[in-house]
Amino acid sequence: MSDLEIWVAIGLMTLATILTRCSFFFLGSAERLPEPVKHALRFAPAAALAAIIAPDLLLDADKAVHIDFSNYRLLAAVAATLFFLWRGQLLGTIIVGMAAFTVLRLVF
Amino acid sequence: MKQQQPGTSSLSGEDAERLAFREAVRTAAPTWPGIFAWGMVVGLAMTKSGLTVWQALGMTLLVYAGSAQLAVLPLIAAGAQLWLIFFTALVVNLRFLIFSAVFAPHFMHLERKRKLLYGYLCADLAMAFFPRRFPESAGPATGKAGYFTGIVYPNWMAWQSGSVVGIVLATRIPDSWGMAFAGSLAMLGVLIPLIVNSAALTGVVVASLAAVLGADLPYRLGLVLATVLGMVAAMLADRLSLRLGRGGRV
Repeated sequence: MSDLEIWVAIGLMTLATILTRCSFFFLGSAERLPEPVKHALRFAPAAALAAIIAPDLLLDADKAVHIDFSNYRLLAAVAATLFFLWRGQLLGTIIVGMAAFTVLRLVF
Repeated sequence: MKQQQPGTSSLSGEDAERLAFREAVRTAAPTWPGIFAWGMVVGLAMTKSGLTVWQALGMTLLVYAGSAQLAVLPLIAAGAQLWLIFFTALVVNLRFLIFSAVFAPHFMHLERKRKLLYGYLCADLAMAFFPRRFPESAGPATGKAGYFTGIVYPNWMAWQSGSVVGIVLATRIPDSWGMAFAGSLAMLGVLIPLIVNSAALTGVVVASLAAVLGADLPYRLGLVLATVLGMVAAMLADRLSLRLGRGGRV
């Protein structure tokens, strides 16, 4: 991508931020959306985040499914999840996950 | 928690707003290191993906939406089309429609410029604290503006300073450290508390499976497809569990 194209992309992303975050500040009533849409929208954050993370954890560099003990990202993510469920702390979760990933990568 | 009921304060308006601001700062302060780290990870990821320092600084200062930035970086690296970048950012930001629907009734009385600013600053942390402090929705009330800005201004600063540090440090951190993985970990930490019931879990499982199966689709269209499938699956699961009479709503 050229420098110009990247700046256009940044502009479009900024527009996406403003359109979504400011939407109902200018649309008036938030109650006009059809009920099933509102209902499904409540799950948008979880679904979108899962869709972003899952390929990173479950696929190898060649985009083949990789679920076993040689997948260090997956193992580290399990360790991070356990830590989060235990302490409920975001920063610690990142540190534990990275530490687990680094130890696995260096030791095995 | 609520020493200061809105509207019942005997203080002058300005003092009440200042007190509310300080109360919000005290409440949200423990999250600042996490926000800083999350900003740093996105800063690292931006430079690592091949953006120049100026592009990365421009992106963090203008876009101010970490998940969308992380989702778009591989698209930029792969030279995806601009409409797909815009669409991906919109889809990843869909949760902000809900935030906006929650916050707008509190601030509809403000002038246009302030609504634009408040909307723009409605990041995830605002959602975590503000509705708890002001559960009643409509209309103006003492302390709302102070409390809101007490959350979102420091949140913006913590995020941006982390991001700038990440952008500056990125060239000194080798790829083999897998720092970009920290981005996935941070998103994991944001995702887990969103799994509040079996319906949300259904959505997460379906979205994950669909994203893995659709990973070969061009321009990461699998991401969009997986998000929609996950949302619909979660909604259907929620309806089913409500019908069975054991459902909890989000």
